[in-house]
Amino acid sequence: MSATAPSRRVARPDEPPPSRFGVAMGVLFVVMTALSVVSTGFSLDGIIEDLGRRNDSISGLLNIDLSVITSTRTLTAFVETLQMAVVGTIIGGAAALPLALASTEVGARTTTVRWLVRAFNNVVRAIPDILWALLFVAMVGIGVLPGLLALVFFSIAVTTKLTSDVLDGIDLGPVEAADATGAAHVAKLRTAVVPQILPAYSSFLLYNFELNLRASAVLGLVGAGGIGTRIEFYRSAGRWPEVWGIIVLFFAITFVVERLSIMFRRRLV
Amino acid sequence: MSSTRQQPPDQSTDRTSDAERVDELLRPEKPTEVFRWVVTVVVLVLLAWGLSADIKWSRLLEAPGEFATIVRLMFRDPDWSALPGLLSAMWESIAMAWLGTVIATIFAIPLAFLAAENLVPGWVAFLTRQVFNVLRAVPEIILAVVFIPIFGLGPQAGIMALGVGSIGTLGKLCYEIIEGLDDGPIEAADATGATGVQRLRWAVVPQVLPELASFAMYRFEVNIRASAVLGVVGAGGIGGLLAQYIQFKVWERAGLALVVVVLATILVDAISGRIRRRIIAGPDGTGDVDGDGLPDDLDPDERARLTTDPVGGGAGLS
Repeated sequence: MSATAPSRRVARPDEPPPSRFGVAMGVLFVVMTALSVVSTGFSLDGIIEDLGRRNDSISGLLNIDLSVITSTRTLTAFVETLQMAVVGTIIGGAAALPLALASTEVGARTTTVRWLVRAFNNVVRAIPDILWALLFVAMVGIGVLPGLLALVFFSIAVTTKLTSDVLDGIDLGPVEAADATGAAHVAKLRTAVVPQILPAYSSFLLYNFELNLRASAVLGLVGAGGIGTRIEFYRSAGRWPEVWGIIVLFFAITFVVERLSIMFRRRLV
Repeated sequence: MSSTRQQPPDQSTDRTSDAERVDELLRPEKPTEVFRWVVTVVVLVLLAWGLSADIKWSRLLEAPGEFATIVRLMFRDPDWSALPGLLSAMWESIAMAWLGTVIATIFAIPLAFLAAENLVPGWVAFLTRQVFNVLRAVPEIILAVVFIPIFGLGPQAGIMALGVGSIGTLGKLCYEIIEGLDDGPIEAADATGATGVQRLRWAVVPQVLPELASFAMYRFEVNIRASAVLGVVGAGGIGGLLAQYIQFKVWERAGLALVVVVLATILVDAISGRIRRRIIAGPDGTGDVDGDGLPDDLDPDERARLTTDPVGGGAGLS
């Protein structure tokens, strides 16, 4: 803040005082960081020391075993993961459209409905994917089904949020036009609102699919099916070369899917 | 639409042809539906393929009943004695998210210089960007799994997972900022004879800081969601308790844990959202006052960019 100002000459404007907000943010930053370091016991020395030590994970990476893909069970798990992501996106995404519509002034018939739907959306959004998986595993047992259900709710959360943001900015002209023709509520939404958001909505679905694919890799860690099940299997057996093999292969696939999806999304929007 | 309305031609013509003619005159032609059909068929085929997975559908029927029972057990008689432990575990999650974000920012800024096409050769920028892309694609929880053997069970592994996982998104933002730097202030600083440090301080930092700070705060919000579940694999925070309570069906505690996570997430979102709004809109800016209760109140450009770009690192974007 105190820049080099040895002598104030006439032509020089006064330096503005540091903004109170800036100072407050600086203090907040320092305090939060200090408190966090204290309460988590984080230490840089520890990190560096740990990195220098021999460990299973890094030596597993160095001996990475890409041939895991040839195991039938792993292959099946890969396919399962894709299936979970596809179904989660389609069902969750389909449910997200009415939920997003009902959370806006245009789409909801009454304020009560709007607030109820918003409260529902907020709660669904606040629960992370893996937590949904834990809950569904407790409800329906381990397997693909809890993973599928978790991804449905996760997709509802993501797509509803993104879509309702777009709905806030739509052009109300067509809506008025539809009202002027005496269109019924649903007809109005279908003809005046949905066409406006359809490109963005489709793009969100593709994006959601990418997220689901990545998420489906972790759901298996808690028993909810998919490739995570294999990661967990090899991890608990201490077979790190295989763990790394699956991770690298899986993320090579998601990487390709992401590139493709971005390509499609560029064309949509 | 009302422009070309014509007199009904002849009273004697029968009704259907009348209606047809009105239709013909007034209605715009329907757009072709081939594309819609193709999409519908593709979606249905994919759905059918997906549903053909090895799923025990009979279990689905039990789900609503189970759900009701669990919700009842969770909230009928919560075990308040678990609350202090849950709160301190939640704080640990928040602290992990904070440190992870700080670490990611520290690494992202220098790396971003290597990804800015106006500063380094094309291939260096390309390679660095691919590193960012890979880091963005891997969920934090997977990173935590492979970090635990290195850093041991506990928050250290979680912090590193969050830190490394966020480098991708923060780095991407940083190089976009660097590439979009306005030369004006830099030239002005040069014209006054500023030294390198002064130029950085007065011409570059003020351009970069608001956007970077705002985005880092956003990333902090995302990281809280991720760090709340890292404990599931043993990487510290509230996730460990949560997983334990749910897996062993200690519902009167699991419910409380869920509420703590949800409320803490919403609270931090709200605070962080206000700070971000203040950063972007400035002291007298009103920001986004549409009062629609959206926690994400960035300006439209920022929002559009956040929503159309793959930002999240996996667990709970949005």
